[in-house]
Amino acid sequence: MSFNSFTFLPSFAALAVVYYALPHRFRWPLLLVASVGFYATFTPSFVLLLLGVTLAAYTGGIGIESAVSSRASRAIFAAALGAVLAGLLTFKYFDFLASSIEGLVARTGADEAQPLLPRLNIAAAAGLSFYTLSSVSYLVDVYAGRMPAERHLGYFALYVAFFPKLLSGPIERAQAMLARMRQGVVFSEQGVTAGLQLMLWGLFKKVVIADRLAVFVDGAYSQAAFAPAPDLLIATYLFAFQIYCDFSGYTDIAIGAARILGFELMANFRRPLLATSVGEFWSARWHLSLSAWFKDYVYIPLGGSRVSRIRQSVNLLVVFLVSGLWHGANWTFVVWGGANGLYQVGSLWTRGLRERLRAADRLPGFLVALARGLLTFHLILVTWVFFRAASLEDAVTILSRVSGSIGNLASPAISRLAGADMLISIGLIGVLLAVEILDERRPIWERLAARPVALRWAAYYVLIGALLVMGRWNLQQFVYMQF
Amino acid sequence: MTASLSNVRAGAGPADSDARRFVAAAARFVLIGLVLYAGLYGAAEAVVRAHADRNRFHMVRSSPPARYDYVILGASHAAVLGYRDMNARLEQMTGKRIMNLSIVGAGIAVNELLFDYFLTRHQAGALVYIVDSFGFYSSDWNERRLEDTRLFVRAEFDSRLVRLLAAHPATRATALDYLVGFSKINDRDRFLPDVPVEEGARFERTYRPVPQIDRERLAYLYPGPVDPVVFDRYMRRFEAFVQRTIERGIDVVVVKPPIPDRVSKLMPDEAAFDARLTAALEGRKVRFHDFSRVGNDDKWFYDTDHLNQAGVLQFFEASLKQVLMGDPQR
Repeated sequence: MSFNSFTFLPSFAALAVVYYALPHRFRWPLLLVASVGFYATFTPSFVLLLLGVTLAAYTGGIGIESAVSSRASRAIFAAALGAVLAGLLTFKYFDFLASSIEGLVARTGADEAQPLLPRLNIAAAAGLSFYTLSSVSYLVDVYAGRMPAERHLGYFALYVAFFPKLLSGPIERAQAMLARMRQGVVFSEQGVTAGLQLMLWGLFKKVVIADRLAVFVDGAYSQAAFAPAPDLLIATYLFAFQIYCDFSGYTDIAIGAARILGFELMANFRRPLLATSVGEFWSARWHLSLSAWFKDYVYIPLGGSRVSRIRQSVNLLVVFLVSGLWHGANWTFVVWGGANGLYQVGSLWTRGLRERLRAADRLPGFLVALARGLLTFHLILVTWVFFRAASLEDAVTILSRVSGSIGNLASPAISRLAGADMLISIGLIGVLLAVEILDERRPIWERLAARPVALRWAAYYVLIGALLVMGRWNLQQFVYMQF
Repeated sequence: MTASLSNVRAGAGPADSDARRFVAAAARFVLIGLVLYAGLYGAAEAVVRAHADRNRFHMVRSSPPARYDYVILGASHAAVLGYRDMNARLEQMTGKRIMNLSIVGAGIAVNELLFDYFLTRHQAGALVYIVDSFGFYSSDWNERRLEDTRLFVRAEFDSRLVRLLAAHPATRATALDYLVGFSKINDRDRFLPDVPVEEGARFERTYRPVPQIDRERLAYLYPGPVDPVVFDRYMRRFEAFVQRTIERGIDVVVVKPPIPDRVSKLMPDEAAFDARLTAALEGRKVRFHDFSRVGNDDKWFYDTDHLNQAGVLQFFEASLKQVLMGDPQR
């Protein structure tokens, strides 16, 4: 049952009604049952995996806290961490590692017909990457003494399995969420309205924009060697908007649903299309919960920025390479992460030069910001090719075909943009950008809240109308659900 | 898009009044929304009426109530008999009133529903069922075909069709979609013509056989080995449908259309299908005509297995005209 399925909305509405009708002490069991049931609608057997990861983290946390010595605590921490990560390594990376090792061996001239290593051929478990990180952060926080171990199994299980964030984040920290569960939630018209607004906007981004763009992108990228170069160029640009609308749309629905139930999840996106540097893109605008996780649990433990510049560069590369691999068991994601890591390293080494240039330029501020924004967008755009392509070969093919004919692309590309569907897509991207720019200055819902209710409702009806008339309801899976 | 409002207010007093206010506002919002939805629905119906042409449910609904001498059911092999002005030509040749209700990819479940719907508005003297074996081998051409809401997206609203769809478990979800008109409102092809623009050119082509294409086509129609349980189920359903039709006082004629030999050779268990079909129709006062090897040269086809315009005319003259003009054997 995906967030954009016809069964989710009425099911969620019924859940919310029962939730608020129940006394506080019955709410966490209701949410836990609903969360497990939600997960079971994907692949029922993977509920056991979720249970296993949950129990490993839960017992590990208690064991760490109860250990008689720091050595014992460390051993339990290592064991629990290993148990939690074992699921991810087995179900997500085993086949990838096996085929990569065999690929290396094949280069030595060994017999390719005989596979050296077995394959598990297990389908990807939805959300595994996300709830594994949540569990790892919990264990680290308990081990580091930043929070006490959670003794209430039900609360802890709900922290891991909470359905709004279970499949694709945000990656929440345990302490805040567990504390929230202990507080009573009272119905608030403003809170529920705010949650519904977010869900509506998220659904619009996903079903009206992202899934519409996906049709063209999928068509071009599925035949990288044969699709016309103008199509590949257009598809690459469209993918930048598709992935943003898909992922942020999902997150908005997740945050909105959680808010309706009285939980405040962390913001995951802050208008990344308006970023004016790669550093700003990653630190302040894109997939913030993941960036924060890698900063707190990988970058800072490695020394962060309190080390030499060379060491800091290595730390940045490690973080982005691991982050890339986390996104998918494919070398394309590693290259994607590595490319972004190199951008960060480049920013680090050119910081002084850029600051001097900024101080010296006489151009109007908005022109400088526009230029920086366009440059940032295109730097990230190149890396999206690797993120989206099915293989490294496809990614290289796409980039070389587009760059090889860059001088001849303008006219055919423009003619392809003239079709009705494409014009609608461009119009929707324009609407998205306009909303983002307005939201950057002042939150759009705050602007609407200051307007008469008729105008607010008109905006809601327009969005709902767009969902009905233009939405692509063939239930394309959220892109980040595959991670 | 950040919403800055929180609903965490420990010990808040007016939670009940908040809830009541919210419910009241939500009810008003939904009511106004329903009115707006009705407007969208009306607009969608208007677009359907403007652009629907060949949709069979639309044809049944929009034609004035009448008695048709012959109703043709079947899948794509029967659909070509209605391309361009072919149906009018057949009517002219035979002097009969004919409605072609064939649907691409339609098995017995689809045809049965469509014929039941037809009879809620019209009468039929005889039914001509153009039979293809693939329609009996998979739910893809039956119950799952009926789940395709695009079958009804160009069908104007008709409460009789809603009742028919709601009566069967396999079509209840489709009935709901048809009732609320969601697929019509959401139809991304709403302004495209019902009849594909390229159909005319295609219909005049002569196919040059390519074995690879033939194999791919057959693999699509017959993706796996014939499941005898599934075959039996749909054949029994067909027998029951034929019997019911006869009991309604409607003659039944079953026709196997011309199929090129290079395609027939690739069909799995076709002899067994023929034997079972013959047995099913025996003793039921049903005329059965097997034209699968009559006029089946490659020159009469525009693709792997569909008659081109010349092929259809040749089929009419050589075979179908006599069948439709012959006296029913009662």
